[in-house]
Amino acid sequence: METTSSQKNQTIVDRVVTRLLVDPTLGVLALLVLICLLAAFTLPVFLNGSNLYNLVNNSLVVMILAMGMTVVLVSGGIDLSIGTTMALCAGVTAAAMNFGLPLFAALLAALAMGALVGLGNGLLITRLGLPDFIATLAMLGFASGVLYIWTKGVPIIGYMVPEFYIVGGLTPLAGPLTLPMVIALLVALVLGGILGFTRLGTHFFAVGSSKTGAMQSGVRVERVRMQAYIVSGLAAAVAGIIMAGRNTNVPADLGNGYEIQAIAAAVIGGAALSGGRGRILGAILGAITLAAAVNLINLVGVPSSYQKIVIGGILVAAVLANRISAVVSGKVRQRKAMVLEGIPA
Amino acid sequence: MNFPRAASRALSTSGVPIAIALVLVVVIFQIISPVFLTPGSVRDYINNAIPILLLTVGVAIVIVAGGIDLSVGTVAGLSAGTTMWALVSGAPTWTAVLVGVATGLVFGLFNGLMITVFGINDFIVTLATLNIAGGLLIVLTEQVPLQGVTTPGFSDLVYGNFLGVPTGFWIAAVIFALMQFFLIRTVFGRRIFAIGIAPGAANVAGVNVNRVRLGTFVLSGLLAGAAGVLLASRLGAVQAFLGNGYEFIAIAGAVLGGVSLAGGRGSVWAAVAGGLMLATLQQGLRLNGVDPVYFSIVTGLCIVAGVVFDRRIQQLALGSFRKRAKGGPTPPAPVKLQETHLLGTGKQD
Amino acid sequence: MSSRTLNPQTGRRGYGKARLAFISTATAAALLLTGCTTVNAPAGGSNAAAGGGGTDYLPDEAIKKIVNGREIKVGFAPPILSEFYTQVEKAAHNKMKEYEDRFGVKWKWERQGALNDAHSGTETLGIVQGYIAREFDAVFVCSAANAATMQTLYKQGSEKGIDFYQFNSTEELANPSQAEDPTGGLSTVANIGYDDRWQSGYLAGKYIAEQLKGEGSIIQIMGPSGSDWTKLRQQGFKKAIAEHPGLKIVGEADGGYVRDKGLTAAQDLLTKFPDVKAIYGENEDMALGASQAIDARGLKHWDGTSGIITIGADGLVSGMEAIKAGKLTATVDVNSAEMGSRMIESLFAHEFLNQEISQFIRIPTGVVDKSNAEWHEGVLKNVLAGPGKY
Repeated sequence: METTSSQKNQTIVDRVVTRLLVDPTLGVLALLVLICLLAAFTLPVFLNGSNLYNLVNNSLVVMILAMGMTVVLVSGGIDLSIGTTMALCAGVTAAAMNFGLPLFAALLAALAMGALVGLGNGLLITRLGLPDFIATLAMLGFASGVLYIWTKGVPIIGYMVPEFYIVGGLTPLAGPLTLPMVIALLVALVLGGILGFTRLGTHFFAVGSSKTGAMQSGVRVERVRMQAYIVSGLAAAVAGIIMAGRNTNVPADLGNGYEIQAIAAAVIGGAALSGGRGRILGAILGAITLAAAVNLINLVGVPSSYQKIVIGGILVAAVLANRISAVVSGKVRQRKAMVLEGIPA
Repeated sequence: MNFPRAASRALSTSGVPIAIALVLVVVIFQIISPVFLTPGSVRDYINNAIPILLLTVGVAIVIVAGGIDLSVGTVAGLSAGTTMWALVSGAPTWTAVLVGVATGLVFGLFNGLMITVFGINDFIVTLATLNIAGGLLIVLTEQVPLQGVTTPGFSDLVYGNFLGVPTGFWIAAVIFALMQFFLIRTVFGRRIFAIGIAPGAANVAGVNVNRVRLGTFVLSGLLAGAAGVLLASRLGAVQAFLGNGYEFIAIAGAVLGGVSLAGGRGSVWAAVAGGLMLATLQQGLRLNGVDPVYFSIVTGLCIVAGVVFDRRIQQLALGSFRKRAKGGPTPPAPVKLQETHLLGTGKQD
Repeated sequence: MSSRTLNPQTGRRGYGKARLAFISTATAAALLLTGCTTVNAPAGGSNAAAGGGGTDYLPDEAIKKIVNGREIKVGFAPPILSEFYTQVEKAAHNKMKEYEDRFGVKWKWERQGALNDAHSGTETLGIVQGYIAREFDAVFVCSAANAATMQTLYKQGSEKGIDFYQFNSTEELANPSQAEDPTGGLSTVANIGYDDRWQSGYLAGKYIAEQLKGEGSIIQIMGPSGSDWTKLRQQGFKKAIAEHPGLKIVGEADGGYVRDKGLTAAQDLLTKFPDVKAIYGENEDMALGASQAIDARGLKHWDGTSGIITIGADGLVSGMEAIKAGKLTATVDVNSAEMGSRMIESLFAHEFLNQEISQFIRIPTGVVDKSNAEWHEGVLKNVLAGPGKY
């Protein structure tokens, strides 16, 4: 490095600014800030501490699912079974508790079930060569059928020991902090760490960007894809455990529609359905954006018949914001490249 | 030409395995419960299936071009609603039909334009329009009671009779034939396959990829509109949530019919056969008194089995074909196996 | 106390509290003694009532002869599988078992519940068509499909000799009248249920008004807009609130009939309106979600004089337990137990005894709170532990 210190300083600032602008989560962040500002002006109660706290607390289940989904999307797949898997895992925990197992064993059982479903998805896709969309759609049908036959449509109840209220976030852990918040943070750190700093993470991106390319450079594509689905299965299990505590019963249709929310949150957060792109932070912001939308609808008192239209509109706005940010960052990157070319090394 | 060769050639044609499986399933169900093939039963279940089959074909066309359309179900529901609305307001049947189809067209155009002009992912755009169309139907049903219509000719769209066959069947058959012709015999149709196989190459070859893609969404919207009209005619009334969830049945049917989610492979009649397979399974289970909770499991297993079967039988047929081709002077048939394990929920982003 | 106070031909509404108490206690105590008079005093009804002598079992023998060991094929098509419909089905099964033992009826029961179609009802259409194709004798339907669509289907089926009974449905929405048409313009044999407006929504509003003495602000968590059940319960609830100028509905949100969404919606509304006195959840799951929201904010549940009232509607075992635990103030029990057994009674009277039964059979409903939760829960638990299994 033969740069002077002032040049160096400039590069660092420059780099940070560029980095921020190029960041794929910029769009959703901007949108979220915009929504918050709009809300704050028209509806002061929105910025109320307890409201924001509730909003975040209520977004955690979708957030954890969206993080798992992001890993699958990054590796070029899609997991439509994630919501039903969540419900199935919630059912397994509840049933295990009712069976008399200790809490940690019940939680382990749910995690095992999640991993098993993920493994099943992975096998369907890699061994039988089914398209991801179809394999996980079939798994959705299968898991939901199992849950219905098992419960006969009657919610599982009677498993709510006091600890489970903490697991579900209904009773705070310490001060205002709830256990689901801690769990979500842990999941974010682990998955963010895997995606950002490990070889496996690099492989996820490589496989998602180009399967052939990854294969040719020696990545064991099928194994990597399998691992992605196991990650999303585990995320579904974690979400299911929280959901069992939060809902205080487990009906068979507990997970209906959550797959779509998870995908929406991940995509709003900048994950590409074509694979190879996505960030954990984006999934977090995406989930919060969705929760903020519902929160605003409830607070403003939008007639509930208009809810779906508003949610559809927000989805469009979010992806448009993403798109604009991508275009802007592309321009910045281009200019940066030109500048770099202009300066003799 | 000897028989095994002809058989392997036939089996390797997309859609043939599913058609054979469909016939088998029908025969089995008929043996188990003889009520299966009574005219009333067949008329009812096919009448119920037709709107979903139309959606299946629309989705299949979008998928062949390498895209996906999740909005078809609720758009069909909304089209049924606007059709009813027109009738309730006193419009004649043909105007109402136009209104319904136009509703589908508007949503198809909106989807297509958002995807091509702004370059937004089709999954998320159509997910948004799924919500918007579903929401609009709720609002519409709250404002107008969508029932009690006696406009002459409207219920005949489905329940009428022409040459002993319900008119709904004829309408669907004509639309399917048109779509198949369009897809196979027209330049635009071939381009749909081209951009599904390799959008980049198609672009280089001078195909306006965006325009073709827009076209597929418009077609899918139009078919959803037509499905909505037939739904309204069959039900005689429309309520909120109509069409919710049909998109997944349509996609599953198309894939079962051998339409590849990776794009570039599929045909209209194969998609129809796939959709009919699902409807037939449901009807068969129903008539045997199977609790519907098992239906989702059976559907899941069938989709898996169907896709695997489809791939294996083609590989098998292809294998025997190649063996023979090596021995004789006949050139190997240009059958291309698509890599279906690649994710195909949209190529661009 | 005579069980003849109830005449199913004319009895639509207005059961006294004693009547309600009698019916449900009877259900709890012995299924043999449930309210309907048709079987105990068939054909003319001038015989001694069942409660009279206790020796008069001749009608049973006579009915047995009429039934003559006949088999009847019955279809049961609920809109969704849930705790509520399981209770209804079980109550029906218990009644069927009783009739099998007493009169030798052979039942063939088949449930086909829609899975993903609770709100649009088109899946139920196909299920009912399947029953018609297989020529079932009678079909019980509860569907979210539009009333006009279902009536056309019933008409087709009736022409083939199949009898249709709707249960828990929203036939009051179309406001059919029996003033001129003996069938009320419907192609069903009977509609067994309750009026969603006045026997559910209105009751909840009235209870809130009574408890709050007509003063206070209320938030409500509604079912999915577009649902007929939601529409009707809203109508009743709003009417009850409007009768008290001191009561005000300050906020409402969509809870989609599920607990998790109910919790979120209640939290949001409680943030905006921290001083509400009552939360109306249109079903029990959403009311329980609201109850969780109250706990999470550290607010107080209603104790008879202060706190926040939570009231739902359904009458599920889980709801009763929440009431006993003080987590839920009250719920409207729409009487799944009575609904199930009345379905079978009506069917039996029509199919076997050839009686004409009322097109609109209204079962008694009532508000359950801490004072009577034990009784209601007992009834439900008895039903669920009953001997019927088909």
